[in-house]
Amino acid sequence: MDHALAGNHGRLIAVLGDSRGGSLRTWLLVGLPTAFLLIFFVAPTAYLFSASVLLSEGLMTPGAPTLENYHLLLSRSLYQSIILRSFGIGIGVGLVVVLLSYPVAYFLVRTTSRWKGLLIAVTLSPLLASVIVRTYGWYVILNQEGALNGLLLATGLVEQPLRFLPSTAAIIVGLAHALLPYGVLSIMSSLNGMNPALERAAMSLGATRFRTFLRVTLPLTMPGVTGGFLLAFSLAISAYATPAILGGPATETMATTIRNFMVVLLDWGLGSAMGVILLASSLLLLLLGTLAGGKRAAAA
Amino acid sequence: MSPRRTDLPWISLRVVVALIFAFILGPIIITAAVSFNGSARSVFPPQGFSLGWWAEALSWKWAEPMLFSLELAALVGVVSTITGTLLAFALVRGRFVGKSFVEMLLLGPLILPTLVTGIALLQFLHAVGLSAFVGFRGLLIGHAIICLPFSVRTVAIALRTMPASLEAAAASLGASPVGVLRRVTLPVIAGGVFAGMSFSFVHSFTDVNLSIFLASPGDKPVTVAILAFLEYGFAPTLAAVSMIALIIPLLLIAVVQRFVPIGDFLYAQERPNA
Repeated sequence: MDHALAGNHGRLIAVLGDSRGGSLRTWLLVGLPTAFLLIFFVAPTAYLFSASVLLSEGLMTPGAPTLENYHLLLSRSLYQSIILRSFGIGIGVGLVVVLLSYPVAYFLVRTTSRWKGLLIAVTLSPLLASVIVRTYGWYVILNQEGALNGLLLATGLVEQPLRFLPSTAAIIVGLAHALLPYGVLSIMSSLNGMNPALERAAMSLGATRFRTFLRVTLPLTMPGVTGGFLLAFSLAISAYATPAILGGPATETMATTIRNFMVVLLDWGLGSAMGVILLASSLLLLLLGTLAGGKRAAAA
Repeated sequence: MSPRRTDLPWISLRVVVALIFAFILGPIIITAAVSFNGSARSVFPPQGFSLGWWAEALSWKWAEPMLFSLELAALVGVVSTITGTLLAFALVRGRFVGKSFVEMLLLGPLILPTLVTGIALLQFLHAVGLSAFVGFRGLLIGHAIICLPFSVRTVAIALRTMPASLEAAAASLGASPVGVLRRVTLPVIAGGVFAGMSFSFVHSFTDVNLSIFLASPGDKPVTVAILAFLEYGFAPTLAAVSMIALIIPLLLIAVVQRFVPIGDFLYAQERPNA
């Protein structure tokens, strides 16, 4: 019986592509998608690096490799401020996302309301909308004759409409709004993974609710907070639509500059170099986050 | 900790959360209101009432990019789901040389900013003489790359959480291997497969960062068309177009969820692209 079962199971696994050694079928299952990724993902990324060390003349990138593109981008104050602004936006968005996500995640995990499922769906539903759809709403709110100015004028708080656009602050608000669901997801999974007995223990030993939160819950869910921050940061520094809609020439970011180089100025060398800088910033942050997470795990 | 529903910290938490929900939904509700605006400016509260912007949003000028995005997203969903499902089977069930290499490779599109993937693919297509691919085919390739890791992940989760005894039981009762696959395995992992497909569709349909580089003048997804239109102003047409672009993924998820429970796989989707 056992043998028959094992034999049947073996045949089943063969159908599903197992091979215990590498049959043609497995190689087809794995090989085609792998080849696809190698050709259309790995090779282009490698090509991007090589293009970033060549000088552009129109769409041609002739000549010997040089670091001049990087030198230009990292030495001119215009590009320095663009890179720094992107980082500032990333940090601002990360902080706002984490601050707003935590109460929502905590509420969604702890509530016993029968609307819990619906509330989770509503929180995550913005993920279904393109970032353009969501940013457009912010334009309607923030423009000079927009909803916010209307409210401020009607209540007599200001006499003249204020200019909220274009501004870095508006970009941060728009991006934080767009990326909030990621923060909520990240913190929710941390809260879900926490042992509730620890909170009860702290409280039974006399800690107040607030102290329990500060000394037990928050430290235990820090990985979710860090994860949410890093995710929001890296998605914010590479976002194009929100800075393009809510920003202007004075609030260029790495993403809008790359688009300019690639599509308007057709300087693919500089565009590629800026792309590599964006990529490096994203990876560096991820690495720092992983290291910080590792250190915390070691300390615990 | 099971908080008492009436104590002060819990009530203040509820107030804060209610405010944040207003923040989440506010811009979307305002966009919906503006789409019925009687005036030609994007103002809130709306002045008067008109369905004119919706009529314009449904005209061919906007229906064309909308249909283009639908077609693209549907194809991306199918391609990335089939490839992702096969790959997930191999990765979960198979043992082969280079498995960890393939797993690492699949992390690539998640870690790299989508925008960088876009400019890399754009230049590569030009460099290898496939400039003609910029447009629908380029977008299909690019979106399939960024969606593949998600399809693999949702199906892999479904496969890993499925009790192994199910297949063994069916096999011991005399089902053929193909029968087991068709009658047991696929129905059990359907949630994961459809979750991957839905998310790939939504990903492709809402993508900006890759599409702005791989779209061509004749092949424009709706997000790129909206961005191009924004350079000329903010007519309420865009509010109506935005609402349609929001309703389509919502409807899709609602319909799929009606037949296959895909909600459980949301937690697996922690790292899509914005």
